[in-house]
Amino acid sequence: MSVVYSRRLKKELQEIQIEQADPAKRAAGIQLLQADDLKTWYFSIEVLGDSLYKNETFHLMVRFDPEYPFKSPAVQFVVSDKVKPPIHPHVYTNGHICASILGDDWSPTLSVMAICITIQSMLASCKKKELPEGNDDYVRTAPDNPKKTRFVYHDDTV
Amino acid sequence: MKVIVKQWHAIAQWQWDTGKTDENGDPEEDVCGICRVPFEGCCPTCKVPGDDCPLIWGECSHVFHMHCLLKWIATAASKQQCPMDRRQWVTAERKVAAGDL
Repeated sequence: MSVVYSRRLKKELQEIQIEQADPAKRAAGIQLLQADDLKTWYFSIEVLGDSLYKNETFHLMVRFDPEYPFKSPAVQFVVSDKVKPPIHPHVYTNGHICASILGDDWSPTLSVMAICITIQSMLASCKKKELPEGNDDYVRTAPDNPKKTRFVYHDDTV
Repeated sequence: MKVIVKQWHAIAQWQWDTGKTDENGDPEEDVCGICRVPFEGCCPTCKVPGDDCPLIWGECSHVFHMHCLLKWIATAASKQQCPMDRRQWVTAERKVAAGDL
C-alpha cells in the first residue's frame, strides 16, 4: 500500500480548496461539496452555457484506492432522492460512468479536477439525452464499485 | 586595513538539471507529474533528496522521479507507457554535458 502517496491527495485537496475560494481560479460549474477524509470526495457539477443539461446539477462521488494515483479512483454520479444522474449515453441509471480515463486510459499525471472537467465536458458535448444501450441489464447486475466493470470504450464522439 | 580571515564556511546549492529551459520561469515544470513533489525534493517513498532518489528521463523528453516512474511502469495498467503522452516508455541517456557532471 502506498500510504506515502496520500500526500499527493492532500496537496490536491489543498489546491482545490484554494481554487474554490477564488472565483477567478475556480473551474466554472464544479464545486467541492465534501472531502472529510482521503477516501471519498463529493463534487457538484453543472454545465454552464448552452447544453442539454441547462439548470441541472449533478453530484459526483469520487472514491480513492490506496494505490492512487497509480490506480484511478472510482467515480460515479450520486443517485438519491435529491439528486439524479444525468441522462447521457455513457451514464447508467445507477450512476456508473463509461469513460476511458477512469479505466484503461488512466494516467497518474491526471488529477481529481481533471476528471471532473472531463466529465463536465462529456456532458457539455452531448447531442442527445439517451440512456446507454443495455442500461437495464447492466444496472441489474452491476457491482457496487464501477471499477469492477469491464467497460468497452466504443464511442469517442461524446 | 588588514583583514585576517579566521574562519569561513561555504554554502552550496544544487538542483537537478532537467535539461529543460523554462522561459516563463514556470515552477510547475519542476514537479514530478506523478507525486507532484518538486524534483529537488525526493519521491514520497524516500526520505532524503539527492543521488539516492534520482530523476529519470524518457526518450519522449518527460522527466519523473525514477522511483515514481518505475512504480507506475510496474503496474499492469501502465502498459509500459509514459504517463504524460502514453507513448511506449524508453529511458533516455541523461543528456548532460560532461562538464556539468
